[in-house]
Amino acid sequence: MSDEALLAGMAAGDADAMAAFVRRHQGRVYGLALSVVGVPAIAEEVAQEAFVRAWRHAGNYDARRAQASTWLLTITRNVAIDVLRVRRELAVEPAVVAEMLISTTNDTDRVADSERITTALRALPREQAMAVLLSVHFGYTAREISEQQQIPLGTAKTRIRTGLSRLRAMLEVSHG
Amino acid sequence: MVDPTRCGDIADALAEVATGAASGPDRARVLAHLAECPDCRRELEELTRIADEVLLVAPEHDPPAGFEGAVLARIAALADERPPADPSAGPPAGPPAEDEPDAVVTPLRPRRWRRVLPYAVAAVIAGIAGVIGAGVVWQATSDDRDLAAGYRETLEIANGRYFDAAPIVDDAGEQVGHVFLYQGDPAWVFTVLGATAEPGTYEVTVTTEDGSTEQLAENEVGPSGGESGGRVDTRIHDIERIDLVGPGGVTYTAHLAAGWAS
Repeated sequence: MSDEALLAGMAAGDADAMAAFVRRHQGRVYGLALSVVGVPAIAEEVAQEAFVRAWRHAGNYDARRAQASTWLLTITRNVAIDVLRVRRELAVEPAVVAEMLISTTNDTDRVADSERITTALRALPREQAMAVLLSVHFGYTAREISEQQQIPLGTAKTRIRTGLSRLRAMLEVSHG
Repeated sequence: MVDPTRCGDIADALAEVATGAASGPDRARVLAHLAECPDCRRELEELTRIADEVLLVAPEHDPPAGFEGAVLARIAALADERPPADPSAGPPAGPPAEDEPDAVVTPLRPRRWRRVLPYAVAAVIAGIAGVIGAGVVWQATSDDRDLAAGYRETLEIANGRYFDAAPIVDDAGEQVGHVFLYQGDPAWVFTVLGATAEPGTYEVTVTTEDGSTEQLAENEVGPSGGESGGRVDTRIHDIERIDLVGPGGVTYTAHLAAGWAS
């Protein structure tokens, strides 16, 4: 059954659809949560909360705007960042984690549909890839990135914007 | 026609809104600009799609044993409490009856969720403890129950289900006004800014937990304050924040979310 059909079932209150949706995506959701907050027990809480929010908002899901998996991961990221904002001590070395996320040593754990974006991130200048990952993955503002990387604020902003724009250009080419 | 230099001015902030990391004032500034700039709306949509795809790079990890059951138990416990995901999928728009506090839940839901009952045992035990506690305080809370009855009557008048309110604060956290929200048919939001707010015209934007936004009527604020309101398509339950962006980018915000772990 497609994700869209499961989400429609969830919106209608179907427990079996919810169970199937959780089973299908739990590894991915928990993996993302763990990569952001770093502590298994907190990652589990984050992942649970992400599924609760997905259940609550299933009726609002719009397949034209995003794939169900990216929609769910965006919710997960938002929950994880909410936690990080309160408990900054959890993000011990976000730059190291960001490096690991696109490192070839992680390729065995990678999900099939992440190949395109991983290749594109690796093709970016390293500092732009880091800025994009810190911003997207950890919710770091340009100001926080400038402090963390010890670069001017304007440079941090430019790296995020240019990095995203280049990713778009690369993905459009690979898509077309 | 939108001044193209304004698009350039918000380009950096637009990228941060796409990544989900923009600060409150930056986010509000961008949202106010988007209200009148279809090009930037399109740009934001595309950049957001790219940023969301970046999340796919996180490796998969199996969660601890019992994870699925724990999620289903949490949802089963909430299923009897939440408003329906889609008003059209819910019961008639009328208010819940006095003896039917969960009338806002679709009739099928309790039967379907019974399948996950074993997972919800802990939640049920917690509920029983709550009932015992409620019995002890029953006699001491008659004023509160009268208040609740009045609340229900108020909701019945306008086909309502619940209402909410939150302070509107400035960057320093000082309260400058408040917002009222009503989930009924229709749902509406009303913002009030006091005399301490900067005079001028404020763009009012509602943002939901999943990042969707909806623009409301502008709030004209004079020396003694100002107010504005209107109906919203967004469900009140889903609203996370309301931003008011005024002259020179001055930004006030009301946070509605109860917190991630609630």
